[in-house]
Amino acid sequence: MSTQSATPNKAEKAKSFFKSPARVTILIAIVFLVVSLVENITSAVDISSPGTSGATLRFAIPLLMAGLGGLWAERAGVINIGLEGMMIVGTWTAAWFGYLHGPWVGLLAAAIFGLLSGLFHAILTVKIGIDQAVSGLAINLIAAGAARYLSGIFFPAVGGDRTISPPVETLPTFTVPVLAPFFQGIDEKNIFLISNVSGLIYGLLTDLSVVTVGLLLFVPLTSWILWRSKFGLRMRFSGENPMAAESLGINVYMTRYIAISVSGMLASLGGAYLALVASSVYREGQTAGRGFIGLATVIFGNWRPGGVFAGSVLFGFTDALRVRQSDSVMAMIMAAGIVAGLLSLYYVLSRKWKPAAVSGGIALFALWMNLRVTNIPQEFITAFPNLATLIVLTFLAQRLTPPAMAGMPYRRGSE
Amino acid sequence: MDNVLDVVGIEKKYPGVIANRDVALTVKAGSIHAIIGENGAGKSTLMKILYGLIRPDAGHIKAFGKDVELKSPQDAIALGIGMVHQHFKLADNATVLENVILGSEPTRMGFIINFDQARKKLVEIAEHYGLEIDPDESLSNLGVGERQRVEIAKVLFRGAKILILDEPTAVLVPQEVEELFSNLRELVKRGLTVLFISHKLDEVLSIADEITIMRQGATVASRTPKSTNKVELAELMVGGELPKPRAGATKSTGESLISIKNASYMRQDGRQVLNNLSLELKGGEILGLAGVEGNGQSELIELIMGLVKPSGGTVEILGLDATKTLTKDIRNAGVAYIPQDRQRDGLLMSAPLWENRVLGHQFASPMANNAWVNKGEAIEDSKRVVSEFDVRTPGINVLASALSGGNQQKFIVGRELSGSPKVILAAQPTRGVDVGAQAIIWDHLMKARSEGAGILLISADLDELFSLSDRIAVIYSGSIVATLDPNKTTPEQLGLAMTGAKSA
Repeated sequence: MSTQSATPNKAEKAKSFFKSPARVTILIAIVFLVVSLVENITSAVDISSPGTSGATLRFAIPLLMAGLGGLWAERAGVINIGLEGMMIVGTWTAAWFGYLHGPWVGLLAAAIFGLLSGLFHAILTVKIGIDQAVSGLAINLIAAGAARYLSGIFFPAVGGDRTISPPVETLPTFTVPVLAPFFQGIDEKNIFLISNVSGLIYGLLTDLSVVTVGLLLFVPLTSWILWRSKFGLRMRFSGENPMAAESLGINVYMTRYIAISVSGMLASLGGAYLALVASSVYREGQTAGRGFIGLATVIFGNWRPGGVFAGSVLFGFTDALRVRQSDSVMAMIMAAGIVAGLLSLYYVLSRKWKPAAVSGGIALFALWMNLRVTNIPQEFITAFPNLATLIVLTFLAQRLTPPAMAGMPYRRGSE
Repeated sequence: MDNVLDVVGIEKKYPGVIANRDVALTVKAGSIHAIIGENGAGKSTLMKILYGLIRPDAGHIKAFGKDVELKSPQDAIALGIGMVHQHFKLADNATVLENVILGSEPTRMGFIINFDQARKKLVEIAEHYGLEIDPDESLSNLGVGERQRVEIAKVLFRGAKILILDEPTAVLVPQEVEELFSNLRELVKRGLTVLFISHKLDEVLSIADEITIMRQGATVASRTPKSTNKVELAELMVGGELPKPRAGATKSTGESLISIKNASYMRQDGRQVLNNLSLELKGGEILGLAGVEGNGQSELIELIMGLVKPSGGTVEILGLDATKTLTKDIRNAGVAYIPQDRQRDGLLMSAPLWENRVLGHQFASPMANNAWVNKGEAIEDSKRVVSEFDVRTPGINVLASALSGGNQQKFIVGRELSGSPKVILAAQPTRGVDVGAQAIIWDHLMKARSEGAGILLISADLDELFSLSDRIAVIYSGSIVATLDPNKTTPEQLGLAMTGAKSA
């Protein structure tokens, strides 16, 4: 009984945490202030430079699409481990059809084949009733194998090789007029904090791909569908309580077919982005586990589109830093340490000892690293995003409200 | 048009079981019609047929004067027949309004939900029928009684004229039952008809206008509350003489089995749920624990089982310090526990019965040999439980989920009473079971007592408390406020004590 009556409180907290824009804004402001400070101290200019914010976005989009794909599937009640495989479908079809008929056709082909790969997952899990994890795993293996096999057949003949496609024409980019030069101007004036923010915005507005903007629209669109449309309501109930949905005459199977197909399409578009926008070629292993990170952003984002977006930006940011400059990682650790220290202080003041101890420990660890470690091993930098997820999930796990029946087997007519 | 439902000759057979036969039912417009019977008497099957979930093998249904064929719930809904399921079909992670409109959403352009229109309609319905509902509340914040109101609103939202309620009171505490009944009376006053399934005779007599009794799949009689009484109804349900709890003589062994002194417990959310609670259970006695649900009963059990640690005081059970002993060791010392929520705490629903028999006994002989489960013994003993406690099941290899609620409960009681436990914690041991099964469970509890076991009986059923208990302790906001002798106390006095009044 104690657990039963405690859950509503947690659910409420989770909601208020994610729903209070003021708190989130303040948090972002604090983080940014710390970052600016750290930059001035360590002169690791890369953290908030225009280059980093642009790269963050480019790294975030594929994760975002995988995350939204995971969200669509799980909201409808089916876990999609196959996101990685569906992204591979996207990278390969986008590159091949892009090479043959131009990048726009490549993008369209990725959407269609992604849809089909989602439909495949739906048939296996919804109709046949195969375990959702097994089906997803199978899709990952099949997609990776098929991509390698088909690459070997098609690419060498047209100027690629067994693991790399021939280059594809790039998609158009644009720089937002008026605003971009305006922020660039402020960035160059080197005013503390203000210039940092402007630099970040400038980075986001420059050399923007049309596809980036298009794919970003899926965030509000998904929100709108989930909470405003008839289909969205039915989809959410398919994930929360399919028995209830069915008892009210809703075709849970059909709802799941549609949602999982869309899931595949979104993940595949994320893959297409890797092949067409982030680079201009298909390479074996290009997805590099992004499908799985996408799944993590679903949890991080508490099964909400805005949260998934925030999660993918966080991962994208650490990714961007990693490839740009390892100095920045050191500075990032320092920034994280300061944020953890402030958090610890906040917890001490509100007499929450456990979280205070945890964040205090993190702060001390960051401090120790800054003092004692001069050269960060490459392995650590590679693992940094994963470590960040782990820390975030540790803090948030208790407040999450996943769809109640996601991942559970469900047959029509069961009670 | 006097009768809203005319049912004749309904029959439904499953392999090896006749769920319904010769069922005849006439329901008058604007009445509350109760259908009573033991577990497995075919009440639920009949209701599912009326709601289109099951198609009968034979028989005719006339609704509102017209012959109808119900192929699916949608047909029933279209005719104005709605069902409030025993296990609510609601989603926590959504608002009340979303739960209500699901499946019949008013829309703009066919796909955008018109929430304003939906909210307006729900508020109108709630006001018209006197249901207290906040459309924008998250369902996760609602209690059981409120959830049931949402289920009723859901049915009304679809324009139902006949409401079928499947054992609506099984999940409710007494105050919530009163609220439900006043809601139902309001609905009937506004011209709706209510079909009410129950096996609680008191409730049926107090709320129903007409009563139809079912036994072994058939309707056997119809009565009105004025023309009948509890004893006759019970005999019609059982089909013979009614077993009664016999309050045997007390033979307290004097040995102290549970001794709790000044125990306090604060929940994580900061609520003080146990407050200086002291309690002693001796061998050979049944100590009844009366109290309105949520006054610390669950936490008291958790404390005794070593699941939570008190913030103050001592808890001793069979000579062990429960605050420092593993639950496993407490159980192995001879403590049986019949949990209140059988599906959540008592059974693995997707495991066969014989595996469920092992639960709680998995560390000790005879169910286990060192690290191994003794499957042969588990199977043999499951068969014994099934026959001794009259568990209606095709076999012991079926999943626990395949049994009806009452039979699940009988199986749990049988399991817990195996191996002569010294202490039995029985939380609502007969909730949701029929009178026949109730008698079996009572008999076994009294037999355990006469063999020297101490029983802590937590029950919301005052009759049960009075007829079984040697002493009745009253729990109120985390403390024992009174200990009463059932032979010298009236139900009114007990009820008063349960509200915390000092005079008792």
